[in-house]
Amino acid sequence: MSTRERRDRSNESDRFLSKLFHDALNTHCEEDTGKEIALAAVGGYGRGELSPGSDLDILILHNGKIAQEKLQAIVNDVLYPLWERNSVDHSVRTRSETRESAASDLRVATGLLDIRLIAGNADVVAAVQGDSLEYWRKNTKQNLPELERSLSERHVRAGELAYLLEPDLKEARGGLRDIQALRAIALSGAVHVPLEKISWAESTLNNVREALHTASGRGKNRLLFQEQDKVARILEYKNADAMMGDVARAARSVDYLLDYTWHALEHKGKDGLGRIMRRPRVVTVAKNVSAANREIVIDPFTSFDEDPVVGLRAAATAARLGLPLSLDTCTELSLALNSGQGILPNPWPREARELLMTLIGAGESMVGIFETLDQEEIIFHWIPEWRSVRSLPQRNALHRHTVDRHMVETAVHAGKLTRKVHRPDLLLFAALFHDIGKGTEEDHSERGVRLIEPIARRIGFDEKDIETLQLLVRHHLLLSSTATRRDLDDPATIQSVMALIPDANALELLHALSIADGEATGSAGWSDWKATLVAELVSRVRKAMAGFEVAQQPMLSEEQIALAAKGELRISLEEHSSGYAVEVISPDRPGLLSIVAGVFSISRLDVKSARTKTLGNSAVMYWIVTPEPHAPEITEAGLHQLIAEALKDSADIEEKLIARAKAYSSIPTMPVPDPEVEIFTDAATDATVIEVRSHDRPGLLFRIGAAITQSKIDIRSAIVTTLGAEAIDTLYVTELTGGPLTPERANEVASHLKQALK
Amino acid sequence: MKLITAILKPFKLEDVKNALQAAGVAGMTVSEASGFGRQRGHTEVYRGAEYTVDLVPKVRLEVLVDDKDADSVVDVIVKAASTGSIGDGKVWTTPVDQVIRVRTGERGSEAI
Repeated sequence: MSTRERRDRSNESDRFLSKLFHDALNTHCEEDTGKEIALAAVGGYGRGELSPGSDLDILILHNGKIAQEKLQAIVNDVLYPLWERNSVDHSVRTRSETRESAASDLRVATGLLDIRLIAGNADVVAAVQGDSLEYWRKNTKQNLPELERSLSERHVRAGELAYLLEPDLKEARGGLRDIQALRAIALSGAVHVPLEKISWAESTLNNVREALHTASGRGKNRLLFQEQDKVARILEYKNADAMMGDVARAARSVDYLLDYTWHALEHKGKDGLGRIMRRPRVVTVAKNVSAANREIVIDPFTSFDEDPVVGLRAAATAARLGLPLSLDTCTELSLALNSGQGILPNPWPREARELLMTLIGAGESMVGIFETLDQEEIIFHWIPEWRSVRSLPQRNALHRHTVDRHMVETAVHAGKLTRKVHRPDLLLFAALFHDIGKGTEEDHSERGVRLIEPIARRIGFDEKDIETLQLLVRHHLLLSSTATRRDLDDPATIQSVMALIPDANALELLHALSIADGEATGSAGWSDWKATLVAELVSRVRKAMAGFEVAQQPMLSEEQIALAAKGELRISLEEHSSGYAVEVISPDRPGLLSIVAGVFSISRLDVKSARTKTLGNSAVMYWIVTPEPHAPEITEAGLHQLIAEALKDSADIEEKLIARAKAYSSIPTMPVPDPEVEIFTDAATDATVIEVRSHDRPGLLFRIGAAITQSKIDIRSAIVTTLGAEAIDTLYVTELTGGPLTPERANEVASHLKQALK
Repeated sequence: MKLITAILKPFKLEDVKNALQAAGVAGMTVSEASGFGRQRGHTEVYRGAEYTVDLVPKVRLEVLVDDKDADSVVDVIVKAASTGSIGDGKVWTTPVDQVIRVRTGERGSEAI
């Protein structure tokens, strides 16, 4: 299996065809006719490479002067004997017909770029070759975008070579057709394409394809499980996994060069003077991160050492906005990390952890960003453990993707379930790492428990969370295997699950993880049938368990109680690792929570968490806020004045917030699931607990507070947490006259809240 | 020849499969199915919202046997699938005109 063998095969076909062609001419023509007709090879055969099962792409060119019957007879004489040997793809055209069909069909145009004379009139072929190249070079503006479109359509259809377990070597992204496309782009002269970078990839993929043709005895390009072992043996690999590793590596380098080439094409002429003359609109979207030319870039002159989180911030922002991460930014970041700059501290700062959660939870758009980070080897600087599963094949009939891609897909599916659980961050994290233990003989769940611990610790989860994460990884298959194999009516089945899962919160997380894992695996591993059984099991176990744990009301210190008794507005401001810690003690009044939240929002302070409690006629609130980029400096006195004014008249704040919301809507965002509102009537004796889970956005808390005030109920206490892009707000509410809400009232409030947050 | 069709509780599949193999049955077809019988669906309360589970997940198992073996195979299935509670399922037999093994073209009992 080598380029040499493929070339020999092509030469042999040339000789055979050449003889057929000359015999046909001798039979049907007088001496001069040979000048009117030529036989040429196009496509892969034109490049002189033939695998055993490849089509022979041939083109019979004539000058139009030859009689129709005679032409027919010659063509038949060449083709009939061929049909016995190879599958043939042929066309018979004049030079001008060839020009026309190239102009109307991109595949013909690219195939002609490889045209090569086999026999007959060399001038005809040379003329067509000249035409084809000229057409291709003169029309790049229209041809290359069309090529890009056809490529991305094919990529959607055939998937990615590096991540599929049974990939199509030719059609998949990073496969042989992409190499042909790269060659075509290079020939267009529009941009330099360093094709030498993929010469190893090309010969590897061609060798595997050739061996596949030999092994299967047919011209198939899809590398199925059943053939992988045989193909690996032919190519003298240690085993099929080693071969698939090489295929993935080859595909990644092709894919990378293709991305790089499109990028270069898109930015052509935007460098140097052109960049100054036509400066693109740049919008700051996060600290040191901007959107320009519809992609996310790290601002020039950003110091990676001073802001080591900027890479994660750029990735998370790109995923959240559904924009790609600029290739230049990735290269720069990768270089910096390789030279020891911008290394994240251990454990990570809180912001880094939240950004990772935002990235993981961003849904479909995260896949592309994650791949970019993988290709540029950036992800390994953040999570070195990821290397052990990179493009790791799994020999399992249920799976479609390699281990790494399966985990990324699981995270995408988990992203749709974040509203269904109390701790979306744990769900997302467990989803991205649940199979990290794969790749050895050892039970992957048990190995995963060991591997996830240091990752979780480094990223900054606390002991209790690490325990939960380990539990999720250890038992990620428990629910689906129990539900399908054990009697759900038997109390012992329910007991066996309860013995392993400590509480309703963990059960809820495990349920969501099972669904995400199943959906990512595909229809072979997951179905409505299985989902129903798992839901049934979960519902039975939950009934047997105690209720959910909701966030507890904060405890107040003696000092705070004393200050609250004075009934005055009092603000104190302190620096905090996430920005500022703000304590607000204020006379209580309806809508206080939303007013204070509103003041923060218009001061461009992002609320990270809040704990508030009403005490007599005062409320004590403790806020952690992060300044947004370009936020004005804040002072205790300034905040005091803003809040005091807003307490007198809040109309001004509302107006400003509406204006801000409008300004934000001009930045693109990805669609997010609807907010969830859940009522717990039994979690506290003197109040009803409302839990709101929603996508975090500017002014969210203001809107929640305003909706509660409109419902004419009182907030006794509020506990607000943001976990990456998710916000969880727990509100202890009572009737204005005191006491918990009736179930009807609670449902009314819940639907009003849902409506208000849409 | 007879086609024996059994609708079972999913978790009983393993037991029934083992019992059939022990009884010398060489092949079977298993599919995921859902439905209800006298057991009916039931109403569940999940997170305050009521929802009705009207179709219960089951497993459908099909075995082709010679006429003479049909009764004993049915007995094996019933015995292995029984838990004594509602929703254990049903087993029925249907006469089969012809069976052909695709690979060899063998017909009748030879093809079973």
